[in-house]
Amino acid sequence: MRSTDNEENLGVQAAPSVLGVSSLVSFDRITKNFGATEALRGVSFSVAAGETVGLLGANGAGKSTLIKILAGIHQPTSGRIVVTGKERVFFHPDDARNAGIATVHQNIDDGVVFGMTVAENLMLDEIAKPGGTVFLGNRAIMRRAHVVQQRLELDLPLTAVVEDLPPSRRQEVAIARELAKNPKLLILDEPTSTLSEREAEKLFDAIADFKRRGIAILYISHRLSEIERLCDRAVVLRDGKIVSEHTAPMDTKAIASSILGELVLATENKTRKGYETVATFSGLTALPESSPISFNVRRGEVLGLTGLIGAGKTELLEQICGHRTATVGDMQLAGADYAPKDIAAAMAAGVVLVPEQRALQSIFPDENLWKHCSISLLSQFSNNGFMRRRREIAFAADVIQNFRVVCSGPDDRIGELSGGNQQKLLVGRWLSRDWKLLVLDEPFRGIDIGARSLISRSLREYSEKVPVLLCSSDPEEVIEVADRIIIMLEGEIVHEDISSNLNAEKLAAIMGRSSSLAKPQKGELLGYD
Amino acid sequence: MIEKTDQPLSKETTNRLNSVGIIKHFVYRYGLLAVLVGMIVYFSIAQPFFGTFINSMFILQAASVVAVVGLGCTVSMTVGGFDLSVGAAMSLSIMAAAGAMVIGNFGGFSAILIGMLAGVAVGLLNSFLIVYARIPDLVATLSSLFLINGLTLMGVGGQSVAKGMTFNGERTTGEFAPIFKWLGSGSVISIPASVVVAGSVFILVHVLLNYTRWGRAFYAVGGNPIAAAAAGIRVARYRIIAYLISGGLASVAGLMLAARSNRGDVNVGDPFLLQAVSAALVGYAVLGANKPNAFGTLVGAIFVAVLINGLTMFNFPYYAQSFVQGCLLVVALLMSYTLAQSRG
Ligand SMILES: Nc1ncnc2c1ncn2[C@@H]1O[C@H](COP(=O)(O)OP(=O)(O)OP(=O)(O)O)[C@@H](O)[C@H]1O
Ligand SMILES: [Mg+2]
Repeated sequence: MRSTDNEENLGVQAAPSVLGVSSLVSFDRITKNFGATEALRGVSFSVAAGETVGLLGANGAGKSTLIKILAGIHQPTSGRIVVTGKERVFFHPDDARNAGIATVHQNIDDGVVFGMTVAENLMLDEIAKPGGTVFLGNRAIMRRAHVVQQRLELDLPLTAVVEDLPPSRRQEVAIARELAKNPKLLILDEPTSTLSEREAEKLFDAIADFKRRGIAILYISHRLSEIERLCDRAVVLRDGKIVSEHTAPMDTKAIASSILGELVLATENKTRKGYETVATFSGLTALPESSPISFNVRRGEVLGLTGLIGAGKTELLEQICGHRTATVGDMQLAGADYAPKDIAAAMAAGVVLVPEQRALQSIFPDENLWKHCSISLLSQFSNNGFMRRRREIAFAADVIQNFRVVCSGPDDRIGELSGGNQQKLLVGRWLSRDWKLLVLDEPFRGIDIGARSLISRSLREYSEKVPVLLCSSDPEEVIEVADRIIIMLEGEIVHEDISSNLNAEKLAAIMGRSSSLAKPQKGELLGYD
Repeated sequence: MIEKTDQPLSKETTNRLNSVGIIKHFVYRYGLLAVLVGMIVYFSIAQPFFGTFINSMFILQAASVVAVVGLGCTVSMTVGGFDLSVGAAMSLSIMAAAGAMVIGNFGGFSAILIGMLAGVAVGLLNSFLIVYARIPDLVATLSSLFLINGLTLMGVGGQSVAKGMTFNGERTTGEFAPIFKWLGSGSVISIPASVVVAGSVFILVHVLLNYTRWGRAFYAVGGNPIAAAAAGIRVARYRIIAYLISGGLASVAGLMLAARSNRGDVNVGDPFLLQAVSAALVGYAVLGANKPNAFGTLVGAIFVAVLINGLTMFNFPYYAQSFVQGCLLVVALLMSYTLAQSRG
C-alpha cells in the first residue's frame, strides 16, 4: 500500500469530525519530532463521549507518543488538542488529569511507585496534591484507600508493597488510581501485554463496566481479536500518520494490511517432528508443593510451554536457565549432566533465557543499541579482554536489519525505541550464535503482528540447529510458533500434544480448567480429540 | 516491508533543528573543556608565569593525588556504587607505609607493598559489607570510613609518624626510603614523578573502562544489575573487584601524599574524599559522557587545580576556594543532568 493519495483523502475527510461539537477529545494535525525523528506527522481524529476507540499500528508507528501528548507527558511540536470544544494545552500530566483524561501507560511500572504499599499508591495523588491535607497518617490512608477500593469494587491487597505484586496486580493498581479520579476518557496503552488470558478476561469485564458508566476509552493493542471484541471504531497509525479508519464489525484482515502497509498472507506452519533429543528434564518441581514433572526438548522443534500466569512456567524456566537452583530433579543436556549453579554457568553450558520482564531484566536505560547486542556475548566480541568495537557495531547493524528494528542506527539509545522495537532487538541478538538450548519467556509481548511472524519464522529456522523452548500464555501465539505444546496448570503438566491437533479455543479451555476437576488420566494426556 | 520515512524533511525544518541542536550539542559535549581552555588562555595572557612549563607542572602535581583517588571513585561509581571510605583508606595506607619504614625499619618497596595491601584490605572490607552482608553502598562505606579512621588512630596512638618519633616510649630509628624521596620530588625527563604515576594510573583505568570487556561489565552492572546478571555477568564478582580497585588506588594516592611530606599525619586523607568525588562528578559533564568516566575525572581534577593555581596568582583569598569549587560543581552538574534532559 504505497498510495499516499489515499492517505491524504482520509486526512481531509477526518477534518470535519475533528471540529465536531459532539467529540470529547480531538487531535488536530498533531506533529511531534524527537530531534530528527518525526514520530507523528499530522494526526487528526477524535473520540466521542462514551465511545471505545482502538488505536493500532506497527511498532514505532507513534501510538505511545500520541497518547503521551494527550497525557501531558510530551508537548506536540505543532497541532492542537481540543477537549469538549475547547482548545487545551497540557504542560504537565496533572493538566491532562484535571481535564478528565486518565492514562495507563505501556510500561506499567511507570504507573506505580515502588517501595510504597498498594494503599499509598492508590492515595498517591492525594499525597502529592498541593494544598492537600498536611497530616495523612497510615490509618487515614488505609481508610480512604478502602473507600476507593469499595467504590471501584476491587479486592487489592492494600497493605502489600507494590513490587511484591505480580505485574497484573500492579496494573490493576495503576488503573484503579486513574479511575479514582472519575475520568471522562481512559487511555489504555497495551494493557494486556503483561496479562494472562484469564487476567485479560477480567480486564475486559472491567472495560465493559467502564463503558456502561459512560467512560470513553482509547485502547491500544497489537491483538486484533481484542480490538474486534472491545472497540466501536478503530484507527490505524502508520509512520506517524492515520492511514485508515474502521468501524465495527471490524474487518481484521483489512486492519492487518493497513497496519503493515502490505498484504498479509496467513502463515500456516507445518508441524515438525524434530530430530534427536537434546535436553531431558526429569523430576523438576515448578511450584513448592506441586508434584514433579518431566519432559524433553528435541532439535528441530519449537516446544511451546503454556498455561495461565501462576502455573509455574517462569519458575520452571528459571531452574533450567540457572536463574535459580533446582532443588530436586535431574537435567541432562546433550548427553551430559547439567546442573547450573548460576546464570553464567548455564550460559557457559549453552543455555540462555530471554527473560520475561523487558525493562527490568534486559534493559540498560542509558546505553545504546550496539552495547545491548553484545553485552551477553562479551567474550565473543573481545580479544584478550579488549573489546572489538567495530565488530560489535556491525553485529548490531545486522540484528537491526534482520529484525527490522525501527531506529536511526546502532548508536541510538535504547530508551528512544518504541517498546516493540526494543523487544525485536533483544530477542534478535541471541540468534546469532549456536547455543545448546534457547529458552524464551513471553517473547512476543508488545510486538506487532508483522514482527511477531518475523520472529516466529526466525525462531523456527533457528530451531533447525538449536532446540527452542518457548513460553507464552497467549494460545494464539503458541500455536503459531510451536510444533509441540505442553500445557501447565498449577505446577503440573496437564496436557501435551502437537500443535496441529490444537487450536486457540481448545488450548484456552485446557489452560483454564480449574484444579477442582479430576487430574487427567494417562490416556487423556496423549490423546486429546 | 515497513517503510521508515517516505518524505524527506523540508530544508527549512532541517536547518532550524540543526542550528539549535548543534549549539546545545556543542555545549553539552565540549562546554566544560572549552571553559577550561578559555581559562588557561586567559590566565596565561594575564599572568605570563602561569603558562610556563614549571607552573604547569605545579598544577599537574597538585591535581595528581586527587586524580588518582578520583579514578578509584570512578571505578566504584561505574558499578553503581559509591565509596566514601577512600579518604580513610588513604590515611590508613599512609600510616601503614610510614609506620613500616619509621617504626619497623622496612625498606621502600616493602613499605609500598604494605601500604597498598592496607588499601586493598579496606576494599575487601567494603565488598564484604556490600556484597555479602548486603548493606547499601553509602552506609557500608560510611561505616568503614569511621572504622578505618579509628583503627589508624589507634594503631599509632593518635600521633604523627615521622623520622625520630617516639613510639611506645622508645625513640624510632627508621626513616623514609629513597623511593619515597623520588616519588615526592624526583622526576622523569623533568616531569614530576607523581605526575608520571597519576598519568599511568589514568591510562590504565581509561583502557580498563573503555576498551576491555571487564569495563563493559562494570558499566552494565551499574546500569542495571538484574539485566547484567541475566546477560551472564557475575555481578557480585565485579562489584568486589570495583571496590578493591577503589581501595587500591586510594592507597596509591596515599603513598604519593606521604612521599610529598615525608611523614604520616593522622587523617590527612580526609579532605581528599570530597575532592575526588567532585572531580568524578565534574567528569560526568566532560564530552557529554553523563556517566562516571576516567577522562572526565582527570579533567575534573585538573580543572580544580588550574582554577586554584590561577586564582592564587591573582591573590584570590584562599578561604574562597571552596566556594569557587562549589560553583564549578554546580555548573558541571547542570550540564550533565539538566542539559542532558532538555536535549532533543
Ligand atoms: N523519547 C524519545 N526520543 C526519541 N525518539 C523517540 C522517543 N520516544 C519515541 N521515539 C520514536 O518515536 C517513534 C514512535 O514511538 P512510539 O513509542 O510512539 O511507538 P508505538 O507506536 O507506541 O510502538 P510500540 O507498539 O512498539 O509500543 C519511534 O520511531 C521511536 O523511536
Ligand atoms: Mg507503544
